[in-house]
Amino acid sequence: MIFSCTPSRIVRPLEKGNKLITAHLGGPLIGFAETTIPIQFTSVMYAQGVSDKLTAFESLHTTSLFFGVFQTDIGVCYKMYYNDKLKLGISATPSLNIAFDKWESNLKIWPLLDVNAYWEITQKKSFFYAGVNNWFELANNKAHEQVQVNNWFINPQLGFNYVRKKWNYNIETKYLAPTIKNEPNVVDYRGINGYGALGIYLGFTRTF
Amino acid sequence: MKKIIFYFYPIVLIFLISSCAHLDSNLYNNKKITEYKLDNYTDVNDFNLDSTYRIQDSLIHVFTLQSKTNSESSSTKIYAIYIGKITSINTDTVIMYCHGNKWHMDFYWQRAKLLANIGGKNNYGVLMIDYRGYGLSEGNPSEDGMYADVDAGLQWLKMNGLTDNRLVIYGFSLGSSSACELTANPRSLTPSKVILEAPFASTAVMVQDGSQLSMPSSFFTNAKIDNAEEIKKINQPLMWIHGTNDLFLNINTHGQVVFNNHKGLYKEAYKITGADHGEIPPKLGYNNYMEAIKLFIRK
Repeated sequence: MIFSCTPSRIVRPLEKGNKLITAHLGGPLIGFAETTIPIQFTSVMYAQGVSDKLTAFESLHTTSLFFGVFQTDIGVCYKMYYNDKLKLGISATPSLNIAFDKWESNLKIWPLLDVNAYWEITQKKSFFYAGVNNWFELANNKAHEQVQVNNWFINPQLGFNYVRKKWNYNIETKYLAPTIKNEPNVVDYRGINGYGALGIYLGFTRTF
Repeated sequence: MKKIIFYFYPIVLIFLISSCAHLDSNLYNNKKITEYKLDNYTDVNDFNLDSTYRIQDSLIHVFTLQSKTNSESSSTKIYAIYIGKITSINTDTVIMYCHGNKWHMDFYWQRAKLLANIGGKNNYGVLMIDYRGYGLSEGNPSEDGMYADVDAGLQWLKMNGLTDNRLVIYGFSLGSSSACELTANPRSLTPSKVILEAPFASTAVMVQDGSQLSMPSSFFTNAKIDNAEEIKKINQPLMWIHGTNDLFLNINTHGQVVFNNHKGLYKEAYKITGADHGEIPPKLGYNNYMEAIKLFIRK
């Protein structure tokens, strides 16, 4: 659950040639010092509209970097459907999460797929969105020859993107691994009825 | 090209200098205090024993030891408590109790008293130390430091006449790492028996439990604690005790893996129904707990 350190990267593709930089902050909720806090993962992302339907992006996980782990997401967001009348769209965002540490030179790659439906509600095109974030663990084994039981994590998410002229603001909540019991665990995750972890994420975007 | 260097330079720089920022220090749940209160300790505790378990003052020895890792040039002063007659260490059976991650020896005083009273009033000697950074012990916690600190205790026992055949090492939770390491790779003394209460398998399992992914532990910690591997080198008899409701260290992903990997001739497991981390003595019942350990030690 600690894996999901960012909100959905791009939900609505940019117009061709448009660019943005986003700072993301947040993570799963945990019990800490007798209160509940989100783990404060941070990252920055650059995205550019390749066409009106396709946006490419790359991010850098700054918290990981500070602790000696180079972690990045590389992917694209593709507009699969858009209804002009309803202002409703559906996008798919396949990406790779790549992490490499300087301590033991371990490398891991996890494929991700976000699928979101978004609904534009203002003239400036602020939008709500709902969808699922899918994480795939390709390894079948864990430490000490133990079996990796779960290879596909489905995380529902809900968010709002408040669009201004140059700055956009994003808030998202995610229900991480809702089918997996969160106890026993060394991390005191806060989920629903003992399952999964709720995550809260903020995004601050500058468009160009 | 200049632009690329301009953007990547700070990233590479942070990546390279990030050795000062690792999560290891957050792994240790140490707490500084101004004095050891023992029976007068009133802060949060897992359980409190009644007066029948009281240890007479003349058998409680609080003292300091000097501990040094191989890579250190100077020693660190750590605190220790010995329960028993120091002059009898050359004939007594002694339990080296390696405590868990929480705070300091005051928190574990009740547990040490239980061990001292196994098989009769003050029957076994018990040595407990506060790892560096815990309680009154100086310095900062580290994996190497923790092993050196426990070994400093073993050196003291050896100096007072303890021999390998009368040493039992007991590791609870985090303390299981010292118990496994110093039995698999002996330094001052070689324990004759090993007791592990709610042990953890490795830092890798901790990270993988936390992330649910097959994630390398090096993404989070430099600690190389690997009880599940170290236990393979241990041939001494093993007693494993774990609560079935341990919400911190999963009995299946941690304790069971360690137990399964022990290849020695004798081992016994106690899975305590409904017991959470730290609840084993009261859930099992103090007398049952002590009796089980007594039988194991005398076997």
